[in-house]
Amino acid sequence: MLSVQTTGLVGLAVAENPHERLRILYTKIRGVLQNIPKDAAYRKYTEQIVNQRFNLVQMETDVQKLEDKLNSGRIEEVIVQAENELSLARKMIQWKPWEPLVEEPPSDQWRWPI
Amino acid sequence: TVRPKNEVEQKQLCAFGEYVAEILPKYIQQAQVTCFNELELLIHPDGIIPVLTFLRDHTNAQFRSLADLTAVDVPSRQYRFEIVYNLLSLRFNSRIRVKTYTDELTPIDSAVSVHKAANWYEREVWDMYGVFFANHPDLRRILTDYGFEGHPFRKDFPLSGYVEV
Repeated sequence: MLSVQTTGLVGLAVAENPHERLRILYTKIRGVLQNIPKDAAYRKYTEQIVNQRFNLVQMETDVQKLEDKLNSGRIEEVIVQAENELSLARKMIQWKPWEPLVEEPPSDQWRWPI
Repeated sequence: TVRPKNEVEQKQLCAFGEYVAEILPKYIQQAQVTCFNELELLIHPDGIIPVLTFLRDHTNAQFRSLADLTAVDVPSRQYRFEIVYNLLSLRFNSRIRVKTYTDELTPIDSAVSVHKAANWYEREVWDMYGVFFANHPDLRRILTDYGFEGHPFRKDFPLSGYVEV
């Protein structure tokens, strides 16, 4: 597909050297995740996903085969998704969602029918 | 005829609901799957922006599309308004509903910073119910007449209004 010079998606340019970009992004995400406490579920699951994808990127040098193995759309979409995950990880450090519940709802709040 | 029960989808939605509830225990009060295979997350109002950003950005939950933003008025409750967000994931072809609560005077964080589509929906909820959204770029009336007083969709607003036309 790369020889065609379009991704087929509006607004997404073809990425030259996607392996390098993905490697950088996944290393950055891993670095950000180190700041989250080890027992947080978010850290556990995201590390699983990131490690899995990182290994796939390392092992597979052909872009088309990498897209098929990741099974997540075009490689440029995978790059966008990794950037989103990075920004989410940074925000998670501020929000700390692994703490226990902020406030219980009133007892009749979620009762349906009333 | 009765809709056939799709057990596989029900199990998948239950598993995903547990997954999200495990990652965000600070804000999620309940997670439920209806009998029609619709996943609902019941949230504390402080957690709207974290939960919506998580659902939009996380790799296992790319709910990038805000399909709907509405409110439900249940006057007998302490927090009478229930704000409902319907999200759609194009990558995984699934939908999720996020519900929060508020009363007439407590403002709620605007979802515009997370989903641009929430702009007019929040204007409509403000106009029809009177729920104030903090940090909304342009919160003004959208459906009622220019000098209209009152919030028409509230349960205590009469059907033919207060003003004769």
